[in-house]
Amino acid sequence: MERNERPPSIIDSLGEELIRIITPVSICMFLVVLLVSVLNSESSSSSDSIITIANLAYDENNSESFWDKFEGALLNSLVFVVIVTVVTFILVFLFYIRCTKFLHYYMGFSAFMVLGFMGGQIALMLVAKLNLPIDPITFMVVLFNFAIVGVLAVFMSKMAILVTQSYLVVIGVLVAYWFTMLPEWTTWVLLVAMALYDLAAVLLPVGPLRLLVELAMDRDEDIPALVYEARPVNVDESDVGGRRRMWRDRRGNRDEQESANNVVDLEMSTDQPPLSTVVGLESAEEGRMPNNDQDVSVPLLENRTSVEWDEQQQSVVSDDSMAFEGIGLGSSGAVKLGLGDFIFYSVLVGRAAMYDFMTVYACYLAIIAGLGITLMLLALYQKALPALPVSVMLGVLFYVLTRVLLEEFVMQCSVNLVMF
Amino acid sequence: MEGGSSSSTSGEPTTLLPLQNPNISSNSSAAIRRTRWPTIDGPLGLSEEDSVTYARRFYKFGFLLLPWLWAVNCFYFWPVLRNSNSFPTFRHVVGSAIGFSIVTILLSSWALTFSIGGERLFGPVWNKLVMYNVADELGLTSWM
Repeated sequence: MERNERPPSIIDSLGEELIRIITPVSICMFLVVLLVSVLNSESSSSSDSIITIANLAYDENNSESFWDKFEGALLNSLVFVVIVTVVTFILVFLFYIRCTKFLHYYMGFSAFMVLGFMGGQIALMLVAKLNLPIDPITFMVVLFNFAIVGVLAVFMSKMAILVTQSYLVVIGVLVAYWFTMLPEWTTWVLLVAMALYDLAAVLLPVGPLRLLVELAMDRDEDIPALVYEARPVNVDESDVGGRRRMWRDRRGNRDEQESANNVVDLEMSTDQPPLSTVVGLESAEEGRMPNNDQDVSVPLLENRTSVEWDEQQQSVVSDDSMAFEGIGLGSSGAVKLGLGDFIFYSVLVGRAAMYDFMTVYACYLAIIAGLGITLMLLALYQKALPALPVSVMLGVLFYVLTRVLLEEFVMQCSVNLVMF
Repeated sequence: MEGGSSSSTSGEPTTLLPLQNPNISSNSSAAIRRTRWPTIDGPLGLSEEDSVTYARRFYKFGFLLLPWLWAVNCFYFWPVLRNSNSFPTFRHVVGSAIGFSIVTILLSSWALTFSIGGERLFGPVWNKLVMYNVADELGLTSWM
């Protein structure tokens, strides 16, 4: 009884909360690095790179000069960010006119596309690479099951938390692997552009993600997006029915400043009036080329931009599924991180893996540090914050520094037998 | 339970009844507490009434060639499978478990026959059926 008297501080559960959000991010990055290293072991001079929405404007060619490639990458990223912005605004508009049914079905459809088709292709590439003797019947049955149950778990019905979280991570891995197939310069410039877009869309008052979060808060609804929600640390059994109440109380106490991108909510479910700050980082992942899964899970907020898959032209048009990027607190007091954050972190690390493992370690540490900083800012400011900018900027910086400085140092040390 | 206890004490003086009742109520409340959360998520999962609906729905959907859904159903309601006596309304979960194991046995026996038997068993047809050749032939991996 006496413990209930003492006001709970954030320190009590902070470590556990951190672990519960860092673990899935790490698993996602690890799986993408694994996929990249298994499937790209032959020379990946991607002359046959995919035609996607991100290189509509310019297709990179290895033989061109530095400035040409840079300009082309800038053009690609600009096109991408513009399309993502448009898609996000369309999503906000649909949400505003209460077309949530359509959004839900759309997200389910894109989830099925990602899990079924992209998952199937990646599985086929793995089968071909590892020479697994699988027959088509088993393969189709397994893939069908996997995709349908994934759609159900993430989007349609309430299922075991572990299953939902695993499927979200798998969707993040598939989409991130897709993105690593872009040409190199485009990938890096795109990451920086998305980080800047995230910053703008969440913090500016006219940003689409901020509007989305405010709309959702006003109506006390869930945002139709893909969001990963960690298991809450302290569960108050009597409070299960009162999840929404926390959100509302929180809203009543403070101004709405939550930017949709990174809304990190930290709710502490205690017996006392909740200190829950809902910070949800939901980054709108817009313009994802592959089908963005938009899974709307009822307790989670997930916005995913979905990209329609046009097979004939082999071009991907990004649909309106905003991948929510951002950190926030769920209404049950758990940390929520948008799936777009997962994806872009993993793209960064995957692209670093295409060079060498040294860059992978450096970028991984940079991203985790950035995530920790963002969570601290979340606790400090108690509003929605973008999760991409800090981590991506640190990651890109560390990648460049490693590639330019550290590698040379390590190579010279090894060659002269000073280290390793 | 209460009926049994009161009948056993029917011959006793009435002063003993209040002594018996707290035991009964504590037993039943303990039983209620134990069986309160039928899902594996505990208090974060569904309540008992909702769970029955979900279990039944998963069971029915699993008949659309979805044995994995049956497996997820069993995983989700694992406490039900462990103490199936205290959850009398959950026969669909047990049905899902049986269905999943049957289908898995069938499917894995076929898959293992295919992969281990290989060419010796099937002849040259095996090379046309195996998945990586099918993928190459149909160009399935070149969408990306």
